[in-house]
Amino acid sequence: MRSYIVIGFLLIVSLSCESVKPYQRVYLNDYEMKPGQPGSRKFEESVQAYREGSSGGGSSKTSGGCGCN
Amino acid sequence: MKKRYVIIGLLASSLASVGQPSNSTYKKKKLSTTSVELVMSYYTQDNEHSAVTGGIGTEDLQVYATQLAMDVRRDSSNAFHFDAGVDVISSASTDNIDFVISSASKVDLRTHINAGYSRRLKDTRTTVGLISGFSIESDFFSVAHGLSLHHVNASQSRELSIALQTYLDDLRWGRLHDGKPEELIYPVELRDTVWFDHYRRSSYSVEFGFYQVINRRMSLGIYPGITYQSGLLSTPFHRVYFNDESLRVENLPGRRLKLPIGIQLNTFLGGRWILRSYYRFYWDNFGINAHTLNLETSLKVTPMFTASTFFRLHEQHGSDYFRPYKDHDPSEVYYTSDYDLSSLTTFKSGVTIRYAPYRRMGRSTFEALEFRYAFYSRSDGLKAHMITLFLGYSFDKKLKE
Repeated sequence: MRSYIVIGFLLIVSLSCESVKPYQRVYLNDYEMKPGQPGSRKFEESVQAYREGSSGGGSSKTSGGCGCN
Repeated sequence: MKKRYVIIGLLASSLASVGQPSNSTYKKKKLSTTSVELVMSYYTQDNEHSAVTGGIGTEDLQVYATQLAMDVRRDSSNAFHFDAGVDVISSASTDNIDFVISSASKVDLRTHINAGYSRRLKDTRTTVGLISGFSIESDFFSVAHGLSLHHVNASQSRELSIALQTYLDDLRWGRLHDGKPEELIYPVELRDTVWFDHYRRSSYSVEFGFYQVINRRMSLGIYPGITYQSGLLSTPFHRVYFNDESLRVENLPGRRLKLPIGIQLNTFLGGRWILRSYYRFYWDNFGINAHTLNLETSLKVTPMFTASTFFRLHEQHGSDYFRPYKDHDPSEVYYTSDYDLSSLTTFKSGVTIRYAPYRRMGRSTFEALEFRYAFYSRSDGLKAHMITLFLGYSFDKKLKE
């Protein structure tokens, strides 16, 4: 049931997309709108990957490295 | 009659008029841009659940991390990437591997270097990238290779990416001690047994990225991934105490499959507020499944100053192989007392201040200075503080025609 809700949400979102011209991208091009984990956020992603059993899904760290301390 | 003379006069004068001279001094310049990012971080944590001492004992840890990253964009098609960093790790728990001698790992160094190249394929909007690197610390040597593919559609409203990454690790101790790997290091009282006959760990991951512009103020990113690990997934100096008072080295299965999916929705609200929202679901075959929610609100105080607050919540159902100190049954095949793999809830919050003047000084541009503080707490009692300073610069260089 939950997966149907997620798929439905993604369908609604993708169907409601509107065309954005290059000169209309002032908000989208803002640094804070960047996808992923830009700037100073990267370091925390790697710490969290060690202190929790889970990682990945758009975070910068998925595997590799010890983290055994 | 008068009007006719005026028109003829204007037409005649237009014949004598001269447009832009053909020998204009204007020339199209080819520029190479290099962006440099410096990240300096400090991390401190403490708790009494160290896996080195079987789920009890100090976890006091400090990490000073510095990383320099450079991206050189030669032209519109070719780009080079280089990053290098050093982490200075001061860990009280690893000193308890041998209890008596202050081991080399009490103050450890982790050095990592990566270099990559990416090229936009001719007459397409597809970029192919390659990256390789390594990281080394006293008990770990990891070699990484990666291949990525990135495609943008004509209107730049949709991006698709796929990244393949491998990590080939060697868990033998000693590289930073005398330059060559020696052997797996076990807790001092368990060194009469060879607990593992292999010392390599391999990780293979595929990460997909789907980015969609929804409207002028909103974008959506979906990031599913698969990671497969094989080899020695246990940490050889982690102790496990059983309920019959016996003691062994941690033992985990030799294969692990991880399936994460992350969804990020970024929204510009009004003219000053930005909301970054992120959700991740994670599953693996160790029995861990987790939900993570991250919300970050930024306020553009002025065009140069941005202040942000963030809040992150992580709920994790722990591994089937985890039990606390002296709770494991000796008949179990796989066992660990590492609280990183336990059922837990973590909470993180903090602030970021960003100053981005994009001030030009000759050929260089001071892009941004960022300060970030985060407080992190875990439901088993672990408390941590993270401080990060980020500096961004870029340099232009005129290329020969």
